[in-house]
Amino acid sequence: MEGLMEDDEFKILPEGCVSSILSFTSPQDACKSSLVSTIFQSAADSDIVWERFLPVDYEDIVSKSNVRFKFSSKKELFLHLCNSLLIDGGRKSFRIEKSSGKKSFILSARDLQITWSNDPLYWHWASLPESRFSEVAVLRTVSWLEIAGKIKTQMLSPNTKYGAYLILKISERSYGLDSMPSEISVEGGNSQGSTTTAYLRLAREHARKQQMERLFYGNRMEMLKSRVVEGDGRVPSERDDGWLEIELGEFFEW
Amino acid sequence: MSSSTDSPTLTTETTQLSPQPDTETAKPTKKITLKSSDNQIFEVEESVAMEFATVKSFFEDSPSTDTVPLPNVTAKPLSQVIEFCKEQIKFKANPDEAQKKKYNAEFVTEKSDKDLVDMIPVANYLEIKDLLDVLNQAVADRIENKSVEYVRSFFGIDNDFTAEEEAALRREHAWAYEGVDED
Repeated sequence: MEGLMEDDEFKILPEGCVSSILSFTSPQDACKSSLVSTIFQSAADSDIVWERFLPVDYEDIVSKSNVRFKFSSKKELFLHLCNSLLIDGGRKSFRIEKSSGKKSFILSARDLQITWSNDPLYWHWASLPESRFSEVAVLRTVSWLEIAGKIKTQMLSPNTKYGAYLILKISERSYGLDSMPSEISVEGGNSQGSTTTAYLRLAREHARKQQMERLFYGNRMEMLKSRVVEGDGRVPSERDDGWLEIELGEFFEW
Repeated sequence: MSSSTDSPTLTTETTQLSPQPDTETAKPTKKITLKSSDNQIFEVEESVAMEFATVKSFFEDSPSTDTVPLPNVTAKPLSQVIEFCKEQIKFKANPDEAQKKKYNAEFVTEKSDKDLVDMIPVANYLEIKDLLDVLNQAVADRIENKSVEYVRSFFGIDNDFTAEEEAALRREHAWAYEGVDED
């Protein structure tokens, strides 16, 4: 009799208790837990769990989207928001990171401050099929390249280490962009904003170009390099979506 | 071994301890009796029992009773829950967030997986919100990034899916099974 009770004790963990436990885990752990048992499956699908994983201001974010969509559960909404969603009249793209539930944003070129971008002599605005945004800024030629982006930190997930990236493409015909390193930095409310450098060139051409530069214009390269801060001279890496990205820096959002 | 000089001091100490029973009667507190499903009796101070929302409402409905039966609760998790609530009463009298955090962390760290899992339905039934949060977080931390098989054995649960159901679920959440820790 005693033995029977011992055994039963474990099995009576009610679904509500399982939901509460799972709401303290991560989206990834909750999805994985569906496979534990039928009780875990219905607990792992419950709104109690996914309400906790959604950003606190998800209703506000969803209301900023032009697209109206229906969802039958909080889990369905969460998974929907893991795909990019255009907000703020198409000027920003929002997405939830699936495994952690953290928020990420992409600012469109229209949401960035690009020096002289309104002067058609230097920049023009175009619509590219491969862009998530309706317009991108295309550089013609310029003697001053300066791009800045701002985001309110309260829009971001708390207690999270964020990375800031510049997403770009470098056309085949481009020249001079990488004749010297560009200064890059991230500044935040509580981060010092250390500056480093990047070469706006394709990673696969980096080694060959560096060798050429050393051979033919070593002195000139050194002279140009001395005009900017010392940095690691990083190069963009390729993203899954066909664009390039450069990490500008990291910051911690409390 | 042979130090005869030690024994006199020992005897004086024991005589000093003798008037102890008086201190009990000096501070009378109302006691409430809780009875677990395995018929064990727990005498707790009223303030501790009132931490249990379920017991509190039981008394509000029938104030004359002195023994509260807890048919869903066995002795071991109940004694641990009482231990936790006694400490919380002290923190209520003397709020010290840092100490409380430290105590709560130690309380769960020293418990076995089974102890934690057994306490959850008890804390849930007795509606002790603070303890539930502490327990849920502790269990969540222990199953974080673990395999499905690990979680099953952690909770002592059998797989009740058919092979087809399991395969379908694995397909649905394929991304979630990547990169789990070794058991």
